[in-house]
Amino acid sequence: MSTTTQAQTNGVFDAWVADGGDAPAGPDWLQAARRDARARIATQGAPTAKAEGWRYTGLRDLMQQDFQRVHEPVSALQPGDIDEALIPGLDAHRVVVVNGRYVPQLSALGTLPTGVRVGGLHAMLQSDPAALEGRLTQIAGAGCHVFATLNTAAMDDGLVLLLERGAVLQRPIELIHLSVGMDEPRVAQPRHLIHLGDGAQAEVIERYLSLGDSLYCTNSLLEIELGRDALLRHRRIQLESPHAFHITGLYLSQGANSQYDGVNIGLGSAWARTDLVTRFRGEHARCDLSGLYLAGDRQLVDYHMDIRHDLPNCASSENFKGIVHGRGRAVFDGLVYVAPGASKTDAAMSNRNLMLSENAEVDTKPQLEIYNDDVKCSHGTTVGQIEPEMLFYLRSRGISAPLARRMLCLGFAGEIIDALGNEALRQHVAEQVGQRLEQAPV
Amino acid sequence: MDQQLPEEPGASRQRNDWGRNMLSVKGLMAEVGGKEILRGLDLEVAPGEIHAIMGPNGSGKSTFAHVLSGREGYTVTGGSVTFDGRDLLELEPEERACVGLFLAFQYPVELPGVNNTYFLKAALNAMRKYRGEPELDAVSFMRLMKDKLKILHLDDSLLKRPVNFGFSGGEKKRNEIFQMALLEPKLAILDETDSGLDIDALRIVADGVNALRSPERSMIVVTHYQRLLDYIQPDHVHVLAKGRIIRSGGKDLALELEDKGYGWIVEEEAAA
Repeated sequence: MSTTTQAQTNGVFDAWVADGGDAPAGPDWLQAARRDARARIATQGAPTAKAEGWRYTGLRDLMQQDFQRVHEPVSALQPGDIDEALIPGLDAHRVVVVNGRYVPQLSALGTLPTGVRVGGLHAMLQSDPAALEGRLTQIAGAGCHVFATLNTAAMDDGLVLLLERGAVLQRPIELIHLSVGMDEPRVAQPRHLIHLGDGAQAEVIERYLSLGDSLYCTNSLLEIELGRDALLRHRRIQLESPHAFHITGLYLSQGANSQYDGVNIGLGSAWARTDLVTRFRGEHARCDLSGLYLAGDRQLVDYHMDIRHDLPNCASSENFKGIVHGRGRAVFDGLVYVAPGASKTDAAMSNRNLMLSENAEVDTKPQLEIYNDDVKCSHGTTVGQIEPEMLFYLRSRGISAPLARRMLCLGFAGEIIDALGNEALRQHVAEQVGQRLEQAPV
Repeated sequence: MDQQLPEEPGASRQRNDWGRNMLSVKGLMAEVGGKEILRGLDLEVAPGEIHAIMGPNGSGKSTFAHVLSGREGYTVTGGSVTFDGRDLLELEPEERACVGLFLAFQYPVELPGVNNTYFLKAALNAMRKYRGEPELDAVSFMRLMKDKLKILHLDDSLLKRPVNFGFSGGEKKRNEIFQMALLEPKLAILDETDSGLDIDALRIVADGVNALRSPERSMIVVTHYQRLLDYIQPDHVHVLAKGRIIRSGGKDLALELEDKGYGWIVEEEAAA
């Protein structure tokens, strides 16, 4: 099989999907999905700079790396090794994934309420594949680009969180995704599945972290399915090595009257691309996406959104704020599509950016495609600098110019940081943002 | 441009004892966007004194306040400003604040997302650090804030909100006076603090200012109307026109201005 695969992938992504290790073949339906994915990799190939979704997101640096697929779990870490990754005061069921593999001995699940299942995908593919059938690979479908296809072809582990109808998690699930440098650059391709049954409620705090400053790539994919009346609060904090490459595809399928409340914080890595894709399966569902990104010198942060309103009476909002300094670059590309039948759609999109240097670059493209007159839709973007009169006001009170700038940046970011809700998490992120700004030569 | 001030009757009221004075402004000239606004302004302020600077619109009152506080966009083209023995014009805005200068803004700036308490603590501790004093911890700071609120008869609702954000005109001005109470400047410049205030708000602000009067603290009250001076009694009143002080006197001068307007002084000055 490996020879045919290599021929089909045209060479470019061979190492990303190379066979080996202990990846479970999985049930027939998954094997079929993998075969299909492998076949598509060849036709998709690497996106070119001309492809619309990649115009401002250069892939050259990523493609120049010789990333090797991770095959083995990292077993050397002891619980004490991840202490520095923990957030003081954060009370959560903790799941730790290292280089894409679930590590039970580092995790601290505690006691889970009835109707809640948490585990690793690798184990569940062997023990109970039926629980995944119809969800895994079905929610994301073909995905929005070749990296989703690669993940489907090469997935071997990740978080599975299943809540039965009516189950409620009181404490959040904290998913720590830790990347540890290896001798040669690795690509981890974790696959996470979250399913909330009708009326179920949960909060997931997903954190991407690095041990050390190593070079690696994470190509993660999340499939999230919300039943009728389900509620998911999802906080995603990306704070990785300055040499890391990060790709996330988040595919969200929402049932009637369900609510998804997502906050994305993007603070670290050399290059990060996130695609947030939402589909509504029932009416009166609501999807709120907010985000804060900081792109420092030579960093690239890219958020793409694809929100599709096919049904009436659903609401979506996107509220993203960015701070870009040095030669940092940010890309915001949000598409809201409202189908002819989607009356009473309520959609609002906002992207505001603060540029701290002349060499910083922001490419922001909010798009509304509306084929129905009976809707309430808005969008707006701003790209600005720190207001001189705000800076002067603070300085006139004895505050140094660098501290004044940091205070104004934190003030700008505060709305999104506050949206995190959880106080321990909020404080942690505020500190991290403060530290990043302190390092910024402003 | 004639930099020499003619000997005005009011000039004799100004002190000549430069060394003793807190603020000494001599022949100050400044431009905004290439336009000459201040054309040889002289002013001496001794500790504890309250000086009112009045004048018609466009006379340079606010420019003077901004030049003293170090705002960008103003080019000083001549003259000197000595504050407490230092060359004030050499200092950055934050340094001016740290050596004891305070500007109460005509239009206090809204800072969305910046919590007022956090802002006040940062300001106070920046000044303490500058002076080599230890920073205040959270508990001592809260205690100090409560004391100052009591002196000014203010409630603490403003402290939990972002700085000036969504504040009414009166709340913004009160927040300025509260900052002044907390930062305890040697010299406070109140730039048109009365503008946009109704009579009740004006009284609250004036009461605050009066509560902060002390033999060591001087104030320069910049105003277009005499009205504020009913509540804040100045030791000296100066009339600013076309970038110079053309008349100085006691608080009676303010009443005369209220009665007769600015025209007659400006005309007399032009004729002189």
